[in-house]
Amino acid sequence: MAKDLTLILILALPLIGFVINGTIGKKLPKVLVGGLATSVVFVAFLLALTLFNGLNGVQIVRLFEILNYDQITINASFQIDALSVWMTLIITGIGSLIHLFSMGYMSHDPGYHKFFTYLNLFIFSMLLLVLGSNYFVLFFGWEGVGMCSYLLIGFHYNDLQKGKANSLAARKAFIMNRIGDAGLLLGLFMLLGQFGTLEFQKIGTALIANPALQGGAMLLITLCLFIAATGKSAQIPLFTWLPDAMAGPTPVSALIHAATMVTAGIYLTVRSNFLFELAPFTKEIILYIGLATTLVAAFMALRQNDIKKVLAYSTVSQLGLMFVALGFGAYTVALFHVTTHAFFKALLFLGSGSVIHGMHEEQDIRKMGGLAKLMPITHFTFLIGTMAIAGIPFLSGFYSKDEILAQALHHNPAVYAILVVAVTMTAIYMFRLYFLTFHGAFRGGDALRAKVHESGLSMTLPIIVLAFLSVFGGLLNLPGLFFHGAAHWFDHYLSAGTFGLSEVHNAHLDFNTSIGLMIFASIIALGVLFWALRNYAKKGALAKADDQMSAWETLSAKKLYIDEIYDLLFVQPLLKMSAFISNVFDIQILRNGVYALANGVVNTAAQTRKWQNGLLSSYLFWMVLGIILFVSYYILKISVWH
Amino acid sequence: MALIILLPLAFSLLAWFLPSSITRIVGLISSFATLTWSVMQLLSFDPENTLYFDLGLRMVRFSMDSLGFTMVLLTNAVIFLIFLANFQRSIVHDKRFTALTLLMQFGLVGIFTSNSILGFYIFWELTLLPVFLILFWFGAFEKQKALLQFFLYTLLGSLAMLLSVIGLMHLTNQQSYEALLAADLNQLGNTGIWLMGGFLLAFAIKIPLFPFHTWQAETYTKAPTAGTMLLSALMLKMALFGLIKWVLPIFAGTALDFWRWPIIVLGLIGIIYGAVIAIKQQDLKTLFAYASLSHLGLIAAGIMLGDNATTKTAMLQIVNHSIVALGLFLAAGIVEQRLKTRDLSALGGIAKIAPRFAFWFAVLTFISLSVPFTAGFIGEFFLLKSLFSAHALTGVLASTTLILGAVYMLRAYQDTMFGPTQISTFADLHWSEISVFAILTIAAIYLGLSPQCLTEFVGHSLVQLKP
Repeated sequence: MAKDLTLILILALPLIGFVINGTIGKKLPKVLVGGLATSVVFVAFLLALTLFNGLNGVQIVRLFEILNYDQITINASFQIDALSVWMTLIITGIGSLIHLFSMGYMSHDPGYHKFFTYLNLFIFSMLLLVLGSNYFVLFFGWEGVGMCSYLLIGFHYNDLQKGKANSLAARKAFIMNRIGDAGLLLGLFMLLGQFGTLEFQKIGTALIANPALQGGAMLLITLCLFIAATGKSAQIPLFTWLPDAMAGPTPVSALIHAATMVTAGIYLTVRSNFLFELAPFTKEIILYIGLATTLVAAFMALRQNDIKKVLAYSTVSQLGLMFVALGFGAYTVALFHVTTHAFFKALLFLGSGSVIHGMHEEQDIRKMGGLAKLMPITHFTFLIGTMAIAGIPFLSGFYSKDEILAQALHHNPAVYAILVVAVTMTAIYMFRLYFLTFHGAFRGGDALRAKVHESGLSMTLPIIVLAFLSVFGGLLNLPGLFFHGAAHWFDHYLSAGTFGLSEVHNAHLDFNTSIGLMIFASIIALGVLFWALRNYAKKGALAKADDQMSAWETLSAKKLYIDEIYDLLFVQPLLKMSAFISNVFDIQILRNGVYALANGVVNTAAQTRKWQNGLLSSYLFWMVLGIILFVSYYILKISVWH
Repeated sequence: MALIILLPLAFSLLAWFLPSSITRIVGLISSFATLTWSVMQLLSFDPENTLYFDLGLRMVRFSMDSLGFTMVLLTNAVIFLIFLANFQRSIVHDKRFTALTLLMQFGLVGIFTSNSILGFYIFWELTLLPVFLILFWFGAFEKQKALLQFFLYTLLGSLAMLLSVIGLMHLTNQQSYEALLAADLNQLGNTGIWLMGGFLLAFAIKIPLFPFHTWQAETYTKAPTAGTMLLSALMLKMALFGLIKWVLPIFAGTALDFWRWPIIVLGLIGIIYGAVIAIKQQDLKTLFAYASLSHLGLIAAGIMLGDNATTKTAMLQIVNHSIVALGLFLAAGIVEQRLKTRDLSALGGIAKIAPRFAFWFAVLTFISLSVPFTAGFIGEFFLLKSLFSAHALTGVLASTTLILGAVYMLRAYQDTMFGPTQISTFADLHWSEISVFAILTIAAIYLGLSPQCLTEFVGHSLVQLKP
C-alpha cells in the first residue's frame, strides 16, 4: 500500500470509530462499541508498523489547502519520518492496549459508548498532533487533545460525591492548558512573521540557509514554545492540573495523563530542535525548570495516600527528567525516556486501575495492604512497573534514566547530584506505594476484603503486555558498553530519520565512568528497595494519619501549598477584579453615568416635561416620526438636485 | 435579484394580514422560501462581478457583490433559524412578531445591498423600527429606563451618522458606492475625520464597542429570546458590514489613519473588559452579552487594520459569531423558558435530566471556545495573528481571550448543567430546537474545515484600500 494512503487510513480509522460510536453507539451492544473502538486503534497500530518498516527519509503527504492568508498558505499536510512514526507507534500501540483494558474497566458504566467515543477522538487528535508536517496542524491536534482531556477528566460529572470535584478538575486542566496554548499561539505568530510558513522543514531549511535569523527572535519563539510545553507536559509553573486530572477514569490517566498527551511538550521541543539549538538561553531555562519540577514533584509524591496521586506526581517528576535531557540538547535521550516511561507508567496506572476496580472504587492506600495474594497478576505486574521506574538494573527504566544521568554528569555535576536526589525519592515513594498496597495486612475491613477480586482477562492481558515491554524496553537503546554493534539503536533510528536531529549532542562517557554510574544507580535503587521492605512491608505498617506527620511530611502531603498560593495570587484577584469592574465601574460609573446624562438632557428642555408621560410608545412615535421627516426631506431634496 | 429584497417585505405585509392562528407557519415557510430563493440565486451568481439592480426608484439603487451576498445569506439563514428556534414558544403565535421580524429582514437585506450611502442610511433606520417594537411589545422591561437607554443610545448614533451622511453627500456631491470610492477625501482634512467619526460613533454603539456597551447587557436580558437573537446575531453585524464595505474604503487615508488605533484600542479593551466581567456574572444572558462584547472587540479591531487578508478572516469570525450567538442565546432561552430563571446560583444538574440539551449546549460551548474543526479556530487564529503582526503587545493582550474565554464559558456551562440540583423536571429539547443546534453545528464545522469557501468568496469584492 502506498505510504500516503496508509497514513490517511491511520488518521481516518480513529475518526471513523469516533463517528460511529458517537452517533449510533448508544444503541449498539457494549461488546461491539468497545470492540470497534479498540480495533480501529489496533489496526492503525498495524498500519503504523508497516510505515515503520518502510521508513525511508522524510515524506510529506499533502491533503488539502486549509487557508490562503496573505500569501501564506496553510495546508493540511502530514509528515512521515522517524519521529512521527515512533510517536504514532506509541500512541496507537499503548492506545489499543488501554482501549482493551477499558472494555473491562468501564463495563458497568452507563456512559460506555460516550467513553469510547471520546477515547477515539483523543487518539485522532493526538495523531494529528504528531503527524502534522507544520505547526498549524500540530496546533489543531494540540487544542483537540486539550478538549478531549477536559471531556474525559470530567467524565463522571454526575457522580454523587465526586461530581463537583471532577468537573472542577476538568475545568482547571482546560484553563491551565489554555495558558500554555496562548504561548504556543504567540510562538506560531512569530514563526509566521519570521519565516512566512509554518512547515517544519521549510523553517529548518531557512535557518540553515540564513543563519542571520538567529538571535533575539529565536529566543522569544522558543520561550513561547516552551511555555506551551509547560502547559501540556505539566511543568512548573503550570503543573498543578495534572494531579487533579486523576479525577478522570483510570484508563484516561494511563493513556492521556501519563503515556501520550503529557509528552506532547517533549515532542514539540524535539520537533523544534532546530529552533532550540539556536537559543541556548532557552535551553538553560528548560534545564532548570525540568530540574526543579522533577525534584518538587518527587517530594510531593512522598506522602500522597491516593494511589493515583502518587503516580500523577511521579509522572510530573519523570516529565521533568525528560526536560532536563532536552535542556542538554539530548533529544533522543529524552524520547527514549518518553518511550520507556510510556510502557511502565501505563502499566502502573492500569495496575492501579485494576486495584481500584478490585477494591470497588477505593483509592486510599491506607485502606489497602496485602493485595498480593488477592490479586496475583496485578501484583506481579505492578512490581515490575515499580522496579522499572525505580531503576532496578536491567529493566527499561534503568537504561533510559541512566542515559539522562550520564548527560547530566557530563555537562554539569551539580545537576547530576540533584538528579540523584530526585531519583532516590522516586524509588522511595514507588516502593512505599508498592509495599503499602500489596503487602502487610489488609486494612480495608472484612466486608471489603471478601469482595476484592482479580480483574478479568481484558484488563490483565494489556497489563501483561505492558509488563513485558517494561522489562525489555531497554533493549531499544542499549548503552555502548554492552553490545557495541546493537547499541544505541534508538538514537541511530531517530537521528537518522528526523529533520535536525543528530547524535552529536549526546554525551558519551568513557567506559569506567559509565560502569561506575550504573553501579551507583543500581546501589541506590536496590538500597531503597531493601529499606522500604523493612519499613513498609511489615505487617501492620501504615501510612501515618494527618496529625501525626512531621513538618516535612505535611508539606509533602499538602503539595507545598502550591494550589493555595496560586489561588491567593491569581484566582482570587481575578475574581475580585471581575466583581469590581462589573459592579462598580460598569454599572455604577458607566451605566448610571449614561442615565444621568440622559436625564440631564431630557430635563433641561422644559418642553419635554409634558412629553414625559412615561409611555415609551410616545417616545417611539416621536423618534420614528423624526426619522421619517429627516429622510423624506433628504430624498426630496436630492431628487430635486438631479 | 430584486425579489431578494422584495420577498421579505411582501411576506411581512402578508403576515400582517393573515390571522394569528397560522402565523408561526407563515413565518417559518416564508423565511424558508426567502432563504431558498437566495441560495438559488447564489448558484447563478458570479462573485467576481457586482450585479446592479433597482426597484424602479430613482434615488435608491442596489447592487449585489459577494460581500453583500454573504451577509444576505447569513441574514436569511438566521431569520429562518430564529423562527425555527422559537417554534414552540408563545411569541411566534403573535402575528406582530412574524411581521416585524420579516420587516427586519427586509431592512437588513436593504442595508447589505444598497448601492448608495443614503440607501444604507435609510435601511439602517428602518431596522430600528421592528427592533424597538419587538422589544416594546414582547420584552420584559419592568423599568422603562433600560429601553430608554437603548433608545437614546441608538438615536444618538443615528443622528451622528445622519450628519455624516449629509456631510458626505454635500461635500462630494456623490452618493453611489463607486463614486464615493473614487472621491478623494484626503483633501477634506479634518472634516473627513469628523465625517468618519460620525459613522464610527453609530457603529461603536451598535457593535457595541467599549465604552458604548452599557445598553447591551440590559437590553439583551430584557428582550425576548427571539429579540436577543435578532440583536446579537444580525443587528450588530450591520455595523461591522458598514465598516468593511463603506467606511474603511471611503475614508482610507488621513481619516482612517487618525481613527484606526483609537478604535483598535477600544476593541482591545472590550476583549479583556468583557471577558473579565463575564467571569463573575450570575445571569446567563448577561454573561453571554459580555462574552459577545469580548468577541466583537476582536473582530472590530481586526477590521480596523484595514488589510484584506484580515478582513476575510474577520468575515469568517462574523459568521461564526452569529452561529455562537444564536446557539448560546437559544440555550439561555431554553433554560429560562423551562425554569423561569437564568440565575447560575439557582441552576445546576440539568445534564442529568435533559441529556440531549446537555450534549448540544456542550457542543455550542466548545464552538464558542474556538476548538479545532470549528470556524472560530481559524478565524480567531488569524485575527490574533494580524493584530500581533501589526502591534505585538496588542496581539499578546488580545490572546488572553483564549484563556479568559475558557474561564467564563466553562463556568457558565458547568454551573448550569452539572452539580447537585433542586430541579425536578426539565423538558428535554423539542425537535425544532435540536434542528437549530444541529444546523449551527454543521455550519461551524463546515466552515472550520473549509474556511476558504467563505474567505475566497468574500475576497472578490474587497477593494484594496487607498494608502
